[in-house]
Amino acid sequence: MTENSKISRNKKMSQNIAFWSFRILSIAVVGILFWILGFILVNGAKVISWDFLTKVPTDGMTGGGIFPAIVGTLCLMLGSVVIAFPIGVMSGIYISEYASNNWVVKVIRIMTNNLSSVPSIVFGLFGMALFVNTLGFGDSIIAGSFTLALLVLPIVIRTTEEAMKSIPDSFRVGSLALGATKLQTIWKVLLPMAFPNIITGLILSVGRVSGETAPILFTCAAYFLPRLPTSIFDQVMVLPYHLYVIATSGTDIEAARPMAYGTALVLIGIVLIINLIANGLRRYFGNKVKTS
Amino acid sequence: MKHAEESIKNIKKALAEMWVLVEGQIDKAGQALLENNKDYANDVIIREKLVICYELIIYRECVNFFALLTPVAVDLRLILSVVKINNNLERIGDFAEGISRFVAEDKLNKITPQMKEELRLEQMLSEVSDMLSLCKHALANEDTTVASKVFAKDNKVDEIYWESLELLSKYIKENTDVLPDALNLNAAIRRIERIGDRCSNIAEDIVFYVEAKVLKHIHKKEE
Amino acid sequence: MINISAKNVDFYYGDFHALKNINLDIEKNSVTAFIGPSGCGKSTFLRLLNRMNDLIDGTKLVGDIVIDNENIYSRQTEVVELRKKVGMVFQKPNPFPKSIFENVAYGLRVNGIRDNKFIEHRVEESLKGAALWDEVKDKLKKSAFELSGGQQQRLCIARTMAVQPQIILMDEPASALDPISTSKVEDLIYELKKDFTIVIVTHNMQQAARVSDKTAFFYLGELIEFDKTDKIFTAPSNEATQNYVTGRFG
Repeated sequence: MTENSKISRNKKMSQNIAFWSFRILSIAVVGILFWILGFILVNGAKVISWDFLTKVPTDGMTGGGIFPAIVGTLCLMLGSVVIAFPIGVMSGIYISEYASNNWVVKVIRIMTNNLSSVPSIVFGLFGMALFVNTLGFGDSIIAGSFTLALLVLPIVIRTTEEAMKSIPDSFRVGSLALGATKLQTIWKVLLPMAFPNIITGLILSVGRVSGETAPILFTCAAYFLPRLPTSIFDQVMVLPYHLYVIATSGTDIEAARPMAYGTALVLIGIVLIINLIANGLRRYFGNKVKTS
Repeated sequence: MKHAEESIKNIKKALAEMWVLVEGQIDKAGQALLENNKDYANDVIIREKLVICYELIIYRECVNFFALLTPVAVDLRLILSVVKINNNLERIGDFAEGISRFVAEDKLNKITPQMKEELRLEQMLSEVSDMLSLCKHALANEDTTVASKVFAKDNKVDEIYWESLELLSKYIKENTDVLPDALNLNAAIRRIERIGDRCSNIAEDIVFYVEAKVLKHIHKKEE
Repeated sequence: MINISAKNVDFYYGDFHALKNINLDIEKNSVTAFIGPSGCGKSTFLRLLNRMNDLIDGTKLVGDIVIDNENIYSRQTEVVELRKKVGMVFQKPNPFPKSIFENVAYGLRVNGIRDNKFIEHRVEESLKGAALWDEVKDKLKKSAFELSGGQQQRLCIARTMAVQPQIILMDEPASALDPISTSKVEDLIYELKKDFTIVIVTHNMQQAARVSDKTAFFYLGELIEFDKTDKIFTAPSNEATQNYVTGRFG
């Protein structure tokens, strides 16, 4: 009896220890995240103002605003998504729906995986070689967008493929049995169903695009350009690169410190807003096609 | 269960048609017997084949119903009853034909109409004919109250039958020359009595169908 | 009138000989049931009739399947056209994640029909034909997933009917449904044979008995017996059939 209760007490204790270690570690992770966010929020909020968001940088980037960098970042997000999305979705559909499970698909899959583990600076170099020089786009939004698109392509392809694969075959045969072609089946039944999950891929890739510095370093980003781009062949300032510049190599790093925090806050804000929008879209489409 | 309903409707319809046919057979056989009419007798004999056809058709429909539609509850009782009623009707048809054969084969020529009257043949025939149509209405209206009427009529038929036996034996003693014909007549009357029994059975089957009660051998004890 | 005719059909999944020398004629406007233990080839044969097995790699067909005097495995056959003529209802109700109306209209839309008046008319007609109209007429715009399983299956039948096929194949259409819904679907099948030739695969022998005019018993890839349903269920001529329908094996 006492022996048994001892064992059960020991068991209970080890349970508790395990439970508390998991809990503490989880809280630690969340705590660190909030600490970083709070730190940036507190320091950045001081400089956030209407002027900061809508004016060009002045005084050797220690004053004025970051409007061109915001616009530049948005341009690159839009550009890369416009390029990566159709290509990625189509590839994903091809892999999941058309290609039979042969060596071609295996090669494509291995290559996509490899692509996603390539360091982003390599993309930057490749982008410079191909888009900037060979294709002659020069340092421009379009070259940057293409480079970033390449970077996020694996994410889009993978999520599309997974989204298509997760649709039960019964919907495919159901459509085909009504005399629909494969293309009609994909377009009218499968894509609407896969859309919420594909949007997840979009969220991930947009987040990635907004934060990357290395790929645009040689393809698009301007050190200082206090005006808005007029065409897709213009250079632009972008937030992460601007942050890097004023934090490390500005004319007066100390004077620009508040501006850096402000920039970081805006960058996080943009990513957050896009995530929220995308989540909203996902929920909207998800409700429209909810199964069972 | 549209399929089952449709099948039941078909079976009931076939049974009703067979019923009308058998009623006609009894009436005609009765007339043939009473009037010693060979034409009527031959009609009955020919139409017996039709009765047999009906029996086979209804039997097969019932077998199929069991095999394909696995009836339960009221459907089960109905189909079971139909199987038995069908069998009884066919036997009744058989008896009508048997009676007719005596007429058709000139085996009752020496029986006088007076004698038939004395034996209350006409009454006996009309009783069994009534019994059969009572049963028909009982089934159509799912009304079991008429069952007791049928059983009462059966007793009446039995009574006439026993009386007829006595009368006949007396008659035979007096006129030995009509002995073969009188024996034949007895056989015919015996058949009419059997028709009555079969009608009682049908009434029991209907009670089983409508009330799920097995009346077998119960009412006989009440006598 | 013969609508479907299989002559010496052999079918292979890779090395597996799934169907062995099947010869079978199916009459127009009749209900034919395929019964047999799991893996006997009955579903495989059903899927041959609208070439659903095309979707599986590594299969091989020998022999002819003729529908309406046309060999459906000849080079000239358009699979999409064939599937319009030979509709199919599946084991699990599989309505699309669309509204009830759009589910039924889908088959028309993919076949290039644009006339909305016509589509509306046909949708109503099909839903009525599938005995579903009264239950859904007030919520046509609602998602098909709001319907019960039995209603979903009847919706799938309506969806198939909307394309006006000649033949409707049903692969265990009631096996995922409760008894009441099953009975409704069975009634529907019984009604539908006025307008369609119906071939149904079922594990439920009573169901085959209830709905079909003719029954084919498959065993180990062979067609053991094919006869009128009442014959199969009262006096089968093959002992294997007898053992199967009486539940002694399988």
